Amino acid sequence: MSFLTINNLWKSYGDVQVLERINLSVEQGEFVSMVGASGCGKSTFLNMLLGKEQATRGQILLEGNMLKQEPDEERGIVFQRYSVFPHLNVLQNVMIADEFTEAKILGWVLGSKRKLIKEKALAFIDAVGLTPALKKYPHELSGGMQQRLAIAQALMKAPKILLLDEPFGALDPGIRADMHQLIRDIWKKNKLTIFMVTHDIKEGFELGSRLWVFDKVRHDPHAPNMYGARVTYDLALNTGGQSADINNIVAEINQHEKNK
Amino acid sequence: MKRLMNIEPSPVVKVFLTMLPFVIAVVVYWLASEARLSENPNDKLLPSFTQIAAAVERYAFVENKRTGEYLFWQDSAASLWRIGLGIGISACVGLVVGMLNGLLPMVRAGLSPFITILSLIPPMAILPILFITFGLDELAKVMLIIIGTAPVIMRDMQSQVTQLPREQLIKAQTLGASTWLVAIRVVLPQILPRLLASVRLTLGAAWLFLIAAEAIAAQEGLGYRIFLVRRYMSMDVILPYVIWITSLAFAMDFSLKKLSMLCFPWFHQGEAK
Amino acid sequence: MRKIKLLLVLITLLTSQQLLAKEKFSICWSIYVGWMPWEYGDSSGIIKKWADKYDIEIDVVQINDYIESINQYTAGQFDGCSMTNMDALTIPSASFVDSTALIVGDFSNGNDGVVLKDKGALTDIKGQKVNLVELSVSHYLLARGLESVGLSERDIQVVNTSDADLVAAYSTAGVTAVTTWNPLLSEITAQPNATKVYDSSDIPGEIIDLMVVNTDTLNENPKFGKALAGAWYEIMQKMRADKAVLTHMAEASGTDLAGYEAQLSTTKMFYQAKDAVAFTKSEQLPKTMEYVAKFSFEHGLLGDGAPDAGFIGIETPAGIVGDKNNIQLRFNPSYMQMAADGKL
Repeated sequence: MSFLTINNLWKSYGDVQVLERINLSVEQGEFVSMVGASGCGKSTFLNMLLGKEQATRGQILLEGNMLKQEPDEERGIVFQRYSVFPHLNVLQNVMIADEFTEAKILGWVLGSKRKLIKEKALAFIDAVGLTPALKKYPHELSGGMQQRLAIAQALMKAPKILLLDEPFGALDPGIRADMHQLIRDIWKKNKLTIFMVTHDIKEGFELGSRLWVFDKVRHDPHAPNMYGARVTYDLALNTGGQSADINNIVAEINQHEKNK
Repeated sequence: MKRLMNIEPSPVVKVFLTMLPFVIAVVVYWLASEARLSENPNDKLLPSFTQIAAAVERYAFVENKRTGEYLFWQDSAASLWRIGLGIGISACVGLVVGMLNGLLPMVRAGLSPFITILSLIPPMAILPILFITFGLDELAKVMLIIIGTAPVIMRDMQSQVTQLPREQLIKAQTLGASTWLVAIRVVLPQILPRLLASVRLTLGAAWLFLIAAEAIAAQEGLGYRIFLVRRYMSMDVILPYVIWITSLAFAMDFSLKKLSMLCFPWFHQGEAK
Repeated sequence: MRKIKLLLVLITLLTSQQLLAKEKFSICWSIYVGWMPWEYGDSSGIIKKWADKYDIEIDVVQINDYIESINQYTAGQFDGCSMTNMDALTIPSASFVDSTALIVGDFSNGNDGVVLKDKGALTDIKGQKVNLVELSVSHYLLARGLESVGLSERDIQVVNTSDADLVAAYSTAGVTAVTTWNPLLSEITAQPNATKVYDSSDIPGEIIDLMVVNTDTLNENPKFGKALAGAWYEIMQKMRADKAVLTHMAEASGTDLAGYEAQLSTTKMFYQAKDAVAFTKSEQLPKTMEYVAKFSFEHGLLGDGAPDAGFIGIETPAGIVGDKNNIQLRFNPSYMQMAADGKL
């Protein structure tokens, strides 16, 4: 049995078919990059992994169990924006992750327990390189630093899977390279299973250990919503590899983007 | 020559321009008052500054002959207590209901349309019902303020909660937060500065309802005094009372703003400059 | 240049209009049983007829808020205004707007009253909160009532209550005593637990409803006084003779004929000019005004510069009350006399 199994998954909104017949399995420690034309359903798929949206048909099993139908600690998330709390500073933002589970009523932890949480938080803050900004509020941080903070938050819960929803889409190219390095390190060090949605196909190739391309297989020009997307390519990646494949896939996706 | 829209006043000019309308208002009043008083020295409509000062002296710094109290301070204390209690309760109720509505779809479905309708009822139009329900004493005055302001705050709080980025709420859930913890640790602290802003905006209405309540039935209060002495046209008392009410309203607004900036600096980052 | 010329012409026109307008007068009134004749006189054209006779113009304006109407008159917006004797003393006269009671229309003979809930005698009022319009004739009536049973205002607590809300206020549990005037009074006494324990028929002739005009305006323009007096007593005649006129007044005041007649029954109207003259000339009037002045002084209504109750002089045919060097309120029966003698 695989770590994560997707059985005949369908998703539709009313008459609009978004995804159809998706059957995939993922092992622990894989880094899956998901690419595709906009509106192809890759974000919808991520939201189903997250528990924010439910499948119309089929199921997703995590270690043999159905995924919970709402977000929980098993799945960490980093959004493109807004995934940190603006009213808390860096340390508080990370510590709150454990306060949520340690203090179910008051939401605040005191004494030696607090000390432990703080130590743990400091370690993760250090891992994402934010130690110099411990007391700063999100609005005082750059976009890249905010994403580092969001990653540190997610790491606190040691999630079984980490979901990244275009995490670097709003960052400058220079900073993006740094972030790639960071996420790669963290992935390896923490043996995480990561799903990342990205617009940037090159980023998908560079970062992941596996690449999924979402695309529609069937088209009806008179009823464009009739058929949903499937995963048309499922490639195992060795970092830095297969440039021929890249070019083919990039060309194909661009072609579909134009057809729309 | 720059465009008019690009010309900024220098600090000195700015102070001058700020003061100008006030000075003009005072001078216009003074001229009008002089003109009327020269015709009838006992005219009460536009009393001179000396007459106003004498009235302030009489009300604020001399014991009243009949009651032995300083009427001005007694009135101020009564009114401030009422408006403070009223707006305070409004804020608390508005916060709780607004958060419940904003956060819980089940509550929102039940309450939100009702509150919307409720906030549109003009309280002054249903005064007799309010009287019969709450009597005519302190409770009624505070209730009028609450009924006038709480639904507005509730609606504002609800909309502020729903405007918080969904990402934050989902993030909190992935960090293991229950609904309760999301409410008190994510939503509440972010909503508080918005509550202060909402209270600042409803203060005007609160004063209006306070004065109205005191005009209807009262034994003391700023609104009571104004409506009482209006019976014999003591503008020398009414004018300082009006200025005092304006100053109190301004002071309340200003201190709420400062409080918000002090307690929630992260909220005011955009306004810093 | 042309513009300036035009402006000049305009200004000249306006100012000359102003000069001509000396012949134009305005009076204001508010809804009350004894003042509805002014409404009738206006809508039936009787006032216009009399104004035309004296070659002047009289504007009749209804003001919804009684106090506002007096304030407007005091500020000089109107040449005359309907009001009670007490308000005439405490508002225009205390502001040193020399005023003349041109027409004595009626006095309240039960139109103002003290009502207790679940209690039967005025002495039971002791220790209660009394809802009323503070510093109004209701307040005066209450003070006179308390005096009559050996109590004073110290024995009660006065709660200033807007007249618009008094009826609703009475139906709340916390309100146990009110003092008010008609038609509110009859609404309140109609409730099962209400007992009228004191009313203005216990002090007949003390709450007087007047048409008060500016003394200077009257002295400069006797025509104005003559036209008003002439019109008033013509209206009085019609009012007495014609039910249709009464019905008109009833409807204009928001009630029906029966309701209006009920209010009239507690109002001593002076339908005949000679009765009004006799009342004005009586020895009782200065005594009444002395009471009123005393009450007003004790409640600070004569202004804070007033050293005693006689500070504002009141002239009546039977004698002067208070400071004869500072007369600000005058009861002048001469115009009513002219009406009585048919000399208008």
